[in-house]
Amino acid sequence: MSSKVKIGQGAMVCKEIKVKGQVSFGASTIIHPGVTLIAEAGPIEIGENNIIEEYVNIIHKFLPGHEQSEPVTLKIGSNNVFEVYSTIEGVSSIGDNNIFESKSFVGRNLSIGNDCIIGAGCHLTSTSPIEDGTCVYGKNCTRQKAFCKPSVPGGHREFLTKLLPSYHLLRKNKNPIEGN
Amino acid sequence: MELQDTFYSKSEYVETTTGNKVSRQAQIYGSQNIILNGKVILQSGVMIRGDLASVKMGRYCFVGKGSVVRPPCKKFSGGFTYFALQIGDHVHIGEQSVIQAAIIGSYVHIGKNVVIGKRCILKDCCMIGDNTVLAPDTVVPSFTHYSGSPGMQIGQLPVCTQDLSTDYTKSFYDHFVPSIDNL
Repeated sequence: MSSKVKIGQGAMVCKEIKVKGQVSFGASTIIHPGVTLIAEAGPIEIGENNIIEEYVNIIHKFLPGHEQSEPVTLKIGSNNVFEVYSTIEGVSSIGDNNIFESKSFVGRNLSIGNDCIIGAGCHLTSTSPIEDGTCVYGKNCTRQKAFCKPSVPGGHREFLTKLLPSYHLLRKNKNPIEGN
Repeated sequence: MELQDTFYSKSEYVETTTGNKVSRQAQIYGSQNIILNGKVILQSGVMIRGDLASVKMGRYCFVGKGSVVRPPCKKFSGGFTYFALQIGDHVHIGEQSVIQAAIIGSYVHIGKNVVIGKRCILKDCCMIGDNTVLAPDTVVPSFTHYSGSPGMQIGQLPVCTQDLSTDYTKSFYDHFVPSIDNL
């Protein structure tokens, strides 16, 4: 498996993850073990202060039959939380301050704005973009404008930054200067 | 009704003196904070996050393939912490489930592909159907059957649930045997 990983300053990336292709992690991002990142259709750029929990799949692949198209970068913003087992497949872009709850699925060609919450178990496959501040919930994936913004996971991230190094083997940049 | 034998390859599982059968493919972190009280089966791909907070599991528990057992977290005005997760005896957790409950009682059956939200409390003798999503902080009372997204009560369980559950988990453990060609 060929992979090129670039880790920002203060980012915690557990060793037990699967990476294919070119992936960069922004500063202070936390990646739990068991995460799968596939960057076949161009690099994945993960922003700052994100938390990506166990068994999250971020798949950036071409549609079958379009393998020769131009590679595109998948940009993921800052302060996002991806909870256990959430799957992101072929999404065009993800903004800031979003929460993807457990077992949520976001399908192809969707773009996600800022301050959105994708509820647990929601299966999103339509292509209409999700606007800023939208909350998607329930078995029918009802969309509703949220009254308040989701809180920034600052405390959560700080707690994990202290805790993870004492229990996990972390990935480091091969060339430490490159990460800074 | 007798359960069918479930075979496993002997090289895949580690058996402890108290009868816990743990797959070598299970990802267990912070093992000093995890207590398995005996006769617990953990299948491959199970992830237990003892590093976040302590996890206690009773006797005759089963955790299916790819399930994640992680202690719940809560944000306070003063800061952020993870809480201990307690699981009682005779608890069956199906495949690909995500458990972030605070307390799970005894004789609980959790189906496949279930999401148990943060800090949920599952009392003794309850049942969560397949593909259920329980919202955070839900309290599931005894002798109830929850299902759907968000999880709601759809039925009641018989008074003999305790005996049924005990029989089921015990016979499941007894029928979880090494495959013959590996003996």
